[in-house]
This record gives sequence, C-alpha cells and structure tokens, in this order.
Amino acid sequence: MIELFNVSVKIDNRPVLNDISLQITKGEFVYLIGKTGAGKTTLMRLIYMDLFPAKGNVIVDRYSSSTIRRKEIPFLRRRVGVVFQDFKLLPDRTVFDNVAFALQVIGAPKRTIRARALSALSRVGLNHKRYQMPHHLSGGEQQRAAIARALVNEPFILLADEPTGNLDPQVSTEILALLESINRSGTAVLMATHNYGLIRQFPHRTLLVENGKITAGEAP
Amino acid sequence: MKLLFLLKEGFAGFRRARLAVTITLATITLALALLGLFGLVAQNLSDSFQRVFYQIRLEVFVDPSLGESDFQTLKSEIEGIEAVQSAEYISPRAALQEFEKDFGKDLVAVLESNPLPPSFRVMLKTGRSRPEAIQAVVRRIEALKAVDEVVYPENLIRLLDKYFLLGIVIAAGLGAAIFIISTLLIFNTIRLAIHSRQRVIEIMRLVGATDAFIKAPFIFEGVLQGMIGGLLAAGLLWLAGDLVRYLFLPGLAVPWLYLAGLVITGILLGFIGSYLSVGKYLNT
Ligand SMILES: Nc1ncnc2c1ncn2[C@@H]1O[C@H](COP(=O)(O)OP(=O)(O)OP(=O)(O)O)[C@@H](O)[C@H]1O
Ligand SMILES: [Mg+2]
Repeated sequence: MIELFNVSVKIDNRPVLNDISLQITKGEFVYLIGKTGAGKTTLMRLIYMDLFPAKGNVIVDRYSSSTIRRKEIPFLRRRVGVVFQDFKLLPDRTVFDNVAFALQVIGAPKRTIRARALSALSRVGLNHKRYQMPHHLSGGEQQRAAIARALVNEPFILLADEPTGNLDPQVSTEILALLESINRSGTAVLMATHNYGLIRQFPHRTLLVENGKITAGEAP
Repeated sequence: MKLLFLLKEGFAGFRRARLAVTITLATITLALALLGLFGLVAQNLSDSFQRVFYQIRLEVFVDPSLGESDFQTLKSEIEGIEAVQSAEYISPRAALQEFEKDFGKDLVAVLESNPLPPSFRVMLKTGRSRPEAIQAVVRRIEALKAVDEVVYPENLIRLLDKYFLLGIVIAAGLGAAIFIISTLLIFNTIRLAIHSRQRVIEIMRLVGATDAFIKAPFIFEGVLQGMIGGLLAAGLLWLAGDLVRYLFLPGLAVPWLYLAGLVITGILLGFIGSYLSVGKYLNT
C-alpha cells in the first residue's frame, strides 16, 4: 500500500529525513509522533507527493515517486484523503458544498456528487448541519466536515496531520472514535499527533520521528 | 471537463467576492480607457496633422479685374504645374459666404461691399512634401501673370517638418509606456484577485483536481473581466467622444474599430494575466 525505501529528504538543503524505510499495509492505523519540527508533516507530504525525496523511493498505491508524472499526481491524490489541524474548509460555502467541491473539481457526474456527499456527511454524523456555513460550526464539527471531504473520494488511506490539535479533550476523543470507525470500514489511517493520552486511549502502531529517523515508538 | 461547473464557479467567484471583482473591473476599465484615450488622441492628432502636412492647400488670390475666360486659362496653367492636384475657382461671393459661415452674419453686415478677391483653392498632390518643394511650387504660381498673392501655412509646415520624426518617436514611446503600464496594472489586479483565492487553489490541488480544471475557472473569470472592462472602457470613450464632439470638436472621430480593439485587448490581457497568475500557484 505505502512503502518508503531508503528515503532522504532535504528542505532548503537541510536534511529533514535521512535514509528511512517504512511500510504501512492495507487498512492499518498508525500514529506518527515526534517533537515539533521532527518531520511528521514532511512524511505526510511525501505520501501525497507534495514533496519528493532527494534519495530513495516512495510507493503509494500503484504510483512511485521516482516515476510518477506531474499529470498523474491529481489521480494519486484522489486515492489519499488529507485532513489538517486547521480544517482548511472554504468559508464561503456550506458544509455540503465543501464536501461536494472535492467531487466537482474532479469532474464527477452531478448525480453521484449529491449521493456521495450525503453519504460522506452521514458517515461523520454531520447530515443535520449540511446547509450551515463552516463558521457556524464548532471546531469538532468543522473537523468532521473536513474528514467528510477527505473521504468523499473513497481513499484507501486517510492522512490526518494533528487533527485534534485545535480541539478540546472531549471532542478530540470523539474525533478519534470517528477515525477508528473509518479505519474499521477498511480505510488506513496515518495520524500525526502530540496527544499521547489519545494514543493510550486508542492504542495502535506508533512511529517515532526523531533526528531524521523513524523508529517504532511508544507514547511516553 | 464539466463546462457547467466551470462556468458556475467562474460566475460564483463574481458573486462571492463582489468588492474584489469591482476593484478588478474598475482597474481594468480605467487601464483600457487610458490606453484607448491615448490611441484616440494620437489617431485624431495624426489625422489633422496629415491633413495639414500631406494635403497641402494653397490659397491663390488673383487680380479681380480678370474676366471669366482668363480664370479658365489660369486654372489650366496652375493645374499644369506638376505637383498640383487640382485648382478650384472660388468667386468673391462664394468666398464671402464661407466667411459668413466662419465668422457670422453680423460681421458681414457692417461691410458695404465685398472686399474679398477672387481666388483659387489649389490642392497639392498628397504625400509628404518638404517645405522647399512646396515653396518652389508657390514661386511658380506667384510668377503667373494674374496672380496677386499665394497664402499657405508656411510656418506650420516648417515646424511640422522639423519635428516630424521626433513626434513619431515621442508618440510611439508614450504609447508603449501607456500600454505597458496598463498591462502591468491589469496583470497585477488579476494576480491579487487570484492570490486572495489561494485557499481554493490549495484545496483543489489537495483533493486531486487536474491543473486544467484548476486553471479553467480562473481563466474564464479573467477573460470575462477583461471583456467587461473592455466594453465599459469602450462605452466610456464613446460617451466622452460624443461629449467632446458636441462641445468643441465636431470633427473628432471615434472609430468602431478602435472600440472593438479595446474589447479584444481586454479579453487578451484578461486571458494572459489569469493564465500566468494561476500558473504560478500550480508550480510549487
Ligand atoms: N516550507 C518550509 N520551509 C522551510 N523549512 C521547512 C518547511 N517545511 C518544513 N520545514 C522544516 O522541515 C523540518 C520538518 O518540518 P515538519 O513540518 O515536517 O515537522 P513536524 O514534525 O510536522 O512538526 P510539527 O509537530 O510542528 O508539525 C522542520 O525543521 C522545518 O523547519
Ligand atoms: Mg507538522
């Protein structure tokens, strides 16, 4: 599913990741921990190919970082859902339109857009708020909307970069429960977090990013 | 490609960012109007310039005591000169009528008799003539027996001749400068408008929209804005031209081709500006 072979990354000529190899299999749930600036976001960018390794190779689905053509990257991104700490919703349209947007811009037929957007919204439990504007929603609800948008293309993996970073503990737990249920239905989840309490509460394989290396880690 | 969605996104962009769109449109309109204004002024100046310079007219005053047949002979004598295109006889009465038209009846009424001598209106062959060549023709006409005096705008012709090249260079330079300024102004407003929608572009890329799909609504918007700006600028110039014509320059020309050219320029600049701007956000 996702494999990294001896990957090194430099940003501004400074090594960030150094000769790492890693595998995430189908339907896995994996945490990514590490100090600020360790390279967690960098690793995720490698996976949705927003960033390319200086050395080594990243394999995602049937795409390889060393052979993928620029034109193919959008098609890779349709197979990978991404959510962030700051939700990145479009403030000028409703929750439904935010989710539908992800289908519209890939040219999906109109009939399937509505059905799939509604189904994604009900998966995250946000159907009743679908005609609200994002700023009328709580942080947790906004993150649910962002997750619905990430899921609407039925990706095989969901990358969540500190998805609970802006949320209070109660809501964070609810989001984690949602991510687990998504994972149980077959979507792999890779989640970067600083919240070790959540890891203890929902234990899964944990990777530690430190000094440019990735090792099996454990929430301290 | 889903044309309907692209059109909807393009128009929705107009609705969502009314202020930004208004500012962009106003800028495009003004920039194009400025460009068009320069073009019009240059065109009209060069037209009247050419009228003086390329179509030189001499007033040849002749001895009033000549008879009808002498005028005929004189006419063919003048027309026999190589550089002369035509010579038209203007009788004192016709001259007075023209005078009346230019200066009003009142002035003519105080005159007891018609003081205007008969004359010929002599057109030289078109083309850029040097002052010396014109002078040579004038001398030959003056040498004819019945001719009293030849009047023509000698100083103006000398002046125009002297600054002919300089004028062209200055006009071209000014035109180029205005064109560059307008273009930069338009590109910059489009760039700012697209910059303010970075987030939309970022999300489109994130969810897997192709470059073409991301570009299309922005380019559509740019073209639409360029076209509307061009139409508004053309309308403004047309109105201004009407006003100027009505107030003090009845001869002012505002050719349709010019106005159409403004709209086309607007469309082209809108297209190129948005194409380049949105491209910048795709190549990171
Ligand atoms: N756009 C950038 N320009 C310059 N340096 C960058 C950029 N993005 C990342 N870096 C550097 O790369 C390194 C890894 O950053 P990264 O964002 O992957 O860390 P992180 O583990 O996600 O940190 P955090 O926990 O704060 O999100 C950092 O040292 C950072 O300074
Ligand atoms: Mg990060």
